[in-house]
Amino acid sequence: MHGLLSVSGLKKVYEGSGRRVEAVRDLTFTVDAGELVCLVGPSGCGKTTLLKCMAGLLTPTSGEVLLEGRPVSGPPPGMAVVFQEYGRSLFPWMRVGENVELPLKQKQLSRQRRRALVADALESVGLGDAAGAYPWQLSGGMQQRVAIARALAYEPDVLLMDEPFAAVDAQTRADLEDLVRGLWRDRGITILFVTHDIDEAVYLGERVLILSASPTVVQEQLKVDLPSERDQLHTRVDPRFAELRTRVYEQIQAAKRGVVPGA
Amino acid sequence: MKHTRPDDARPKSTRPRQAGRPGPANAALGAAGLAGFLALCEAVPRLGIVSEDYFPPLSRIADALVTELGDRTFWTALGDTLTGWAVGLAIAVTAGILAGVGIAVVPFLREATASTIEFLRPIPSVALIPLAVLLYGTELRSVLLLVVYASFWQVLIQVLYGVQDVDPVAEETARSYGLGTWARVRHVLWPTALPYVMTGVRLAAAVALILAVTAELVIGAPGLGARIMVAQTSQAVPEMYALVVVTGALGLVINVGARTVERRALAWHQSVRGEVAV
Amino acid sequence: MKRLALRLFFVVALPLLLVAAWWFASAGSTDVYWPPLRTILTTFPDVWTGERLRDDVLPSLLRLLAGYTSAAVVGVALGTVIGSYRRVRAVCEPVLEFLRAVPPPVLVPVIMLFAGIGDTMKIAVIASGCVWPILLNTVEGVRAVDSVMSETARSYGITGAARLRHVVLRSASPQIFAGLRQALSIGIILMVISEMSASSNGLGFTIVQFQRTFAIPDMWTGILVLGLLGFLLSVVFQLVERRVLGWYHGLRASSRRS
Repeated sequence: MHGLLSVSGLKKVYEGSGRRVEAVRDLTFTVDAGELVCLVGPSGCGKTTLLKCMAGLLTPTSGEVLLEGRPVSGPPPGMAVVFQEYGRSLFPWMRVGENVELPLKQKQLSRQRRRALVADALESVGLGDAAGAYPWQLSGGMQQRVAIARALAYEPDVLLMDEPFAAVDAQTRADLEDLVRGLWRDRGITILFVTHDIDEAVYLGERVLILSASPTVVQEQLKVDLPSERDQLHTRVDPRFAELRTRVYEQIQAAKRGVVPGA
Repeated sequence: MKHTRPDDARPKSTRPRQAGRPGPANAALGAAGLAGFLALCEAVPRLGIVSEDYFPPLSRIADALVTELGDRTFWTALGDTLTGWAVGLAIAVTAGILAGVGIAVVPFLREATASTIEFLRPIPSVALIPLAVLLYGTELRSVLLLVVYASFWQVLIQVLYGVQDVDPVAEETARSYGLGTWARVRHVLWPTALPYVMTGVRLAAAVALILAVTAELVIGAPGLGARIMVAQTSQAVPEMYALVVVTGALGLVINVGARTVERRALAWHQSVRGEVAV
Repeated sequence: MKRLALRLFFVVALPLLLVAAWWFASAGSTDVYWPPLRTILTTFPDVWTGERLRDDVLPSLLRLLAGYTSAAVVGVALGTVIGSYRRVRAVCEPVLEFLRAVPPPVLVPVIMLFAGIGDTMKIAVIASGCVWPILLNTVEGVRAVDSVMSETARSYGITGAARLRHVVLRSASPQIFAGLRQALSIGIILMVISEMSASSNGLGFTIVQFQRTFAIPDMWTGILVLGLLGFLLSVVFQLVERRVLGWYHGLRASSRRS
């Protein structure tokens, strides 16, 4: 069966000024509609490269990305990306509302529809009254909420998130994780969440894909069989959470040493 | 529960490796562009797109340039322009730095002078041309009046930006250790302001050349500008273009030189700062 | 309230002091070149009548406006093209570097050859002198558009004209304004000297005319008018800039605080 998003045999080699860097070697996996999948891997393992290939921002050297069975050759309309660098991803010359609205204008939605989507998206990330502010007037966590709202308003089939909480403090991070879980459950969108944080991957995901060190392949896939109702206090002390966490941790250590299971 | 926070948790640039560094390929493209431009300058008048009377082909301009370079009076004119530029710039830089540091050190002077500076700075120095003509005629002092007035503000403004940038903690530390005014200027204020001063000098150097040439063109003070005017009125068109090229080359040398000096000065200077929009 | 009064005092104190110094120092002056300030000020309304404003100041301003606006349009348009393509930039850079280095006033005799001594010449001089700082700053600004911002725009389907309008030009606008500001002072210089070189009306022409006929107090009023014009134009520019770049100043202030 084909998933909503499927990546097969993806390979990306950077070539420039005589150097040849193989960032991603051979990646194959699928994400089903409505799933929340976390991609986790050691630092510098090509997670961002992979995400950009999926988002249609980079052309893979070989292999392909399919969204709803159609190959991705440029940024597809059914996909929204939340970048790690919220400060550089939101346009500082636009107010929060305008930032959320701009992609919708591009989609040529009616003014009424745009307004409704913007208001709803900002409301659902808890920033209902911030539409008139400039992004730089908000804290880092709030800016990332705006970026999430922009992605939600775009009504994507798949939401790609590239280490979105790596640059915010721990407290804010916990809140944002719960926000993503909540949005996923309420709205039934498909989320692919890239992170280097093992706890985050296990806490958020229904399934965790562990990537090996560069050149990257899928090291292992892990089903997260935690209850779907999760919260920061109880889930994180759940013995099962600890087991999964240990499992992922071991795999990543193995990945760093270059041990490929079954190879 | 403690979060695992690997050390690369800061936002990192996902910028792909910058391919636009000046490399041999870029130099070749630049040379090609330059060659194309020169070929165009030769071809346009040759093909009759523009009359040769107004815009002679490059080869004739080059001939005229060679003749100029063999002419002693040309070198005198170049020397005059450079003198006006250098002396004017030196006066403006000295005065700008002294005034800037003075304003920074004396209490209340910054607030008291702000409105006056804001008013005097945008006054175009060419407004002083008639006065310069009356007072000094075509003497060097005419050139200096215009050059100094225009470049002084460039330096002063940058010095003031620079002293504003002084870290208050450093300033208070220096105070608490009993450093006197002079020591604080030398060890705290000056090092902070230096990069800005260099930017000011670079901007002033370019402005000084513009005003030196202006004074020569309009007032007739001896120099390249006056020579251009003479060439134009006597219909010596290729000579005029040759001299224009010389002023351009002069400007280029000054710009590149000033940028190099600025970069050198900044290389050993540890401060990191954003470019001040001027 | 007290702080406001203090600030007001600082704003007006030194200018008043300087004007007073000028007034008293020149009060009994018999030097023809340095007439008393009182004489200059009493001459002022006689010289700068409504008629003169219409016949000299207005044409000057219109030429400046025409030249400056065309330089802005051409500079931003060309700069955007050159800044967007790395190869085009590499090809153009040395030539632009040279053309920028030519002191703009030498354009006056050159353009006089082509365009005579009419309004066209003056507008062309102003435009061709103002275009370089605008062009080169636009190139820098467009080149430096943040990579994450352009990827964001791409991934949300913001391309073509919308990308240019909402992302590229807005992101380059602080740089573009830096160029526009430099161009403004160059434009005023060129307006004045093109009128001084060859003209039958305009501010530069009038002031030189006063000087040649030794109407010294009138000449001084002309210098004051030019100074005032420079100041006013800079105030207008700052108002526009503060409106357009409000976000930029806010952003800078907020990143300095943190």
